[in-house]
Amino acid sequence: MSNGFDVIIVGSGPGGVSSAFPLVQAGLQVLLVDGGREMALKSPVKTYLTSRGEDETQWHWMVGRDYHALHHVDAVSPKLRVPMLAPVFEGYSAANQIHASTFVAVGSLAQGGLSNAWGCGVARLSSEELRDYPFPASEIEPSYETVTRRMGVSGAVDDDLSDYFGLDGWTDPPIKMDTLHRRLWHAYGKNRSALSAFGVRMGRSRVAALEQDRGERHACDLSGNCLWGCHRRALYSATDDLEQLQRYPNFTYRSGFVVDRVVRSGEHPAVVGSDQSGTEAIKARKVVLAAGTLATTRLALQALQMAGPVAMQNCPTAAFLLWLPGALGIRREPAFGLGQLSFALALAPGVSGFGSLFNPTGIPLAEFVRYMPLGRRYAIDILKALMSSCVVGNVFLPGRYSTATLSMTHAGVLQVAGGYHPDVAPFMSLAERRLRSAFWKLGAVLLPKSFTIGHPGSDIHYASSLPMRSQPGPGQTNARGELYGLADVYVADGASLTSLSEKSHTLTIMANADRIGRGLLKDLSESQ
Amino acid sequence: MKVLVTGASGYIGNRLVLAARSRGYEVIAATRRPVSAVGDWIAFDLVATGAIELPAGTNAVFHLAADTTSRLIDSETEAASARRLIAAARQAGARFVFVSSQTALEHAPSAYGRTKWRIEQLVLAAGGTVIRPGQVYGGDERGLFGTLVRAMRALPFFPAFLPAPQIQPIHVDDLASALLHCVESDELTSAVFCVGEPEPVSFTRFLRLIAAERVGRFRLPIPVPVVLVRLLGLGIGRQLRAKLGFDRLGSLFDLRAMQTEADLRRLGITLRPMVSGLSRSGNDRRRMLIGEARAFLRYVLKERPTAILISRYVRCIERERGGQPLALSSFAHCFPVTLALLDRARPNVNLAQAEFVWRLNAAVVLAEATVQGARRFLAIGESSGLVTSIVQIARALTSELGWRVVRIIASPVLKSLMCDQGRPR
Ligand SMILES: Cc1cc2nc3c(=O)[nH]c(=O)nc-3n(C[C@H](O)[C@H](O)[C@H](O)COP(=O)(O)OP(=O)(O)OC[C@H]3O[C@@H](n4cnc5c(N)ncnc54)[C@H](O)[C@@H]3O)c2cc1C
Repeated sequence: MSNGFDVIIVGSGPGGVSSAFPLVQAGLQVLLVDGGREMALKSPVKTYLTSRGEDETQWHWMVGRDYHALHHVDAVSPKLRVPMLAPVFEGYSAANQIHASTFVAVGSLAQGGLSNAWGCGVARLSSEELRDYPFPASEIEPSYETVTRRMGVSGAVDDDLSDYFGLDGWTDPPIKMDTLHRRLWHAYGKNRSALSAFGVRMGRSRVAALEQDRGERHACDLSGNCLWGCHRRALYSATDDLEQLQRYPNFTYRSGFVVDRVVRSGEHPAVVGSDQSGTEAIKARKVVLAAGTLATTRLALQALQMAGPVAMQNCPTAAFLLWLPGALGIRREPAFGLGQLSFALALAPGVSGFGSLFNPTGIPLAEFVRYMPLGRRYAIDILKALMSSCVVGNVFLPGRYSTATLSMTHAGVLQVAGGYHPDVAPFMSLAERRLRSAFWKLGAVLLPKSFTIGHPGSDIHYASSLPMRSQPGPGQTNARGELYGLADVYVADGASLTSLSEKSHTLTIMANADRIGRGLLKDLSESQ
Repeated sequence: MKVLVTGASGYIGNRLVLAARSRGYEVIAATRRPVSAVGDWIAFDLVATGAIELPAGTNAVFHLAADTTSRLIDSETEAASARRLIAAARQAGARFVFVSSQTALEHAPSAYGRTKWRIEQLVLAAGGTVIRPGQVYGGDERGLFGTLVRAMRALPFFPAFLPAPQIQPIHVDDLASALLHCVESDELTSAVFCVGEPEPVSFTRFLRLIAAERVGRFRLPIPVPVVLVRLLGLGIGRQLRAKLGFDRLGSLFDLRAMQTEADLRRLGITLRPMVSGLSRSGNDRRRMLIGEARAFLRYVLKERPTAILISRYVRCIERERGGQPLALSSFAHCFPVTLALLDRARPNVNLAQAEFVWRLNAAVVLAEATVQGARRFLAIGESSGLVTSIVQIARALTSELGWRVVRIIASPVLKSLMCDQGRPR
């Protein structure tokens, strides 16, 4: 049995790397393991529109020489069809023995995890939203600052969502908006009060995408390749942090070591996993699980010998198409492809939705043709003329409206069952109506029938299956993220969030992981 | 790519050369005498003993030359010449692909099978690839296939051996594709690949199909017990046995079934059905699939698709969907715009609706991911503007409406108009 590590961290996604920094910086011997999948293809270099107009081999990165894009026609997110991102999603459910029936289970075995494919939306939880967390808001605040500054966030501007995002003190100005969003933004400036009557507040999106160069990463140049891979590395990925960590001599990185079990051997915890060289158990003083909510929960339930079911939260989500008739016929322009404008939408006392608007130019038209109730030939005609004046939007509801559960079978398989609370349908139709009225005020039409509710799980915001509680019980974690019933094993990904708001949650995973890392340092020094 | 083919003038070699050249490869024939159809030539003789030197820049060697009669050359000589060729390929850093036989076996009953096995070992030891084809057929009437066709043409009957040998046919052009794939893929490792129909068919059925599809005549099967043939073979002695081809017949009776499915998949080829393979053109299926590609892509693009896009669609259907064309009528092939009658229609037409939708979606995805598609889908390089856009949208809506009306009017004849009902699906 290998020895000598203070801490083993399972997973190099945003959660894993964030928990690693405080430990590594304090000089501890840290081992980080992950599933090891790597990107094989290169990101396009020219701007999206230039490549489309010139590149004779564009089908290599758009469809894939193995026809990758055609293998996943039923997946909700277009990202699951992008050939370059194939390694991000491959093999996760199989390696982690996850079986989902009524749930779209997405996860990653890649270096950097799902952050290779994420939408970069970030937000901080307010002290209000942190109220059910078992620690004071002031305890996580420095962690929010640390991770925000480290990853590089843009979007700071004094607008109606400044407080909602709560990050502006640590972030750069926003990336330039395209014509469509500028129009909406301009109209919003004149109609703020009308929109607030519909419960809608708007602001620039806060995104972990660079507006200014940072070391080897470069500012967004509006090339429009966000979906296809940013060769400038303007979009944050946990692999950026992984690179930083690897500069520390007391940090050991073992890629491609898939953990199958967590056990206690004597007085210490250990992870049992395998790579090409075979199966191995590695022991340390502490183990941190950050393999993604589903995989982490499986490892925890198995170690605790709990069958469950335990509840998990995920955000009911919908997507829609917004048309700006006044912009009909404008030229497509190079644009940032992730969130440009965001909105908070009040739905009932204490219940709100959150969403963002995106420029769709970089998304293949085929993605929209599929949903049009017209012959494809004419659907293409229409979308070709229409899409240059459209933006796409999404909306998320709080995770407590999910009824998802996780349970273990005898064979050690994690069974995921998804579902929505009965209130979701009425909330979604209310959201659709309010957004339609609000955008109408801004001169935009929420296209009829375009508002589509996603299957449970397609939001890819999974959390709170092992929630932190001040008085934890079985299947829960304490305020420091330590699993009840399994001493020295900590949970530092979405699984340990106490609750899941409608906001983008990954920044909170990271801040909480940083906080857990710091707490772990204390636990270790106390025990010495 | 520069490839060298030994046995380039043979039945398989000839088709391999054609296939390689159609992909733009430079082909060098290595044969005893210059082959007129092939440009470059170097002398290669199984009985020569000097070292072989490959032309500079050769990327791959296909070793097809063999003594099929086992009359002239002994096994040792043939193995020695393979050894020299392998050494030359290694020196040049070229890949090595050897066409072996289903009969290859250490203690095969035929000398032919034993020699193949011996050479296989040499090839594998040197990191090369071995292809074991089942019964090769189709294309020119040469090789064993040629003999069979000629016999069927000449005689009113044919032997139906009892028990019937089970064979695993492969069209000569499918074999050529498989061979080329071996040098095109970066992923294949040194191994033996068995290629042929995954489900063996009886030799009797094979002969009957030759009669029906190739010769176009009825031929009477005459039952012949295999024991009888074997006895006869023993009776006539070794010399005569080899001369009359009894050895090869013998190996037919001793064939052991090959597992080919996984290997075919790894090689990325889909075998054409024997019915189309036996027709003279040999690629009825391909032709139909190309027609389908042209129609679908043209429906999507509103202009003629490029040849490269058509072949991409065809490859896609072959790889992902088994490669059979949909039963579209020639009317639909000629007027692709009429596909609007089926697109988004209720599944009242016999066209395997789900498959139709999958393929049409695939056509959209593939068409979009081209320079041609960027014009069509993103208006890159086209004029835009308010008026243009309004006109485009209005026209599209009118057309959609128009086709819906036509669909209703034509609904009684839709099936006969759009589907080819004569073809088995
Ligand atoms: C298309 C898409 C868009 C998104 N957009 C946003 C957004 O805009 N805003 C937002 O906040 N969030 C977004 N997300 C979600 C975000 O990506 C995740 O919340 C985040 O990546 C979770 O981080 P994590 O560290 O918990 O896990 P992951 O990123 O899933 O990383 C898991 C890590 O664990 C490793 N691993 C897994 N199993 C094992 C095992 N058995 N053994 C060893 N290692 C293992 C993996 O290799 C990986 O390194 C999006 C996700 C997707 C897919």
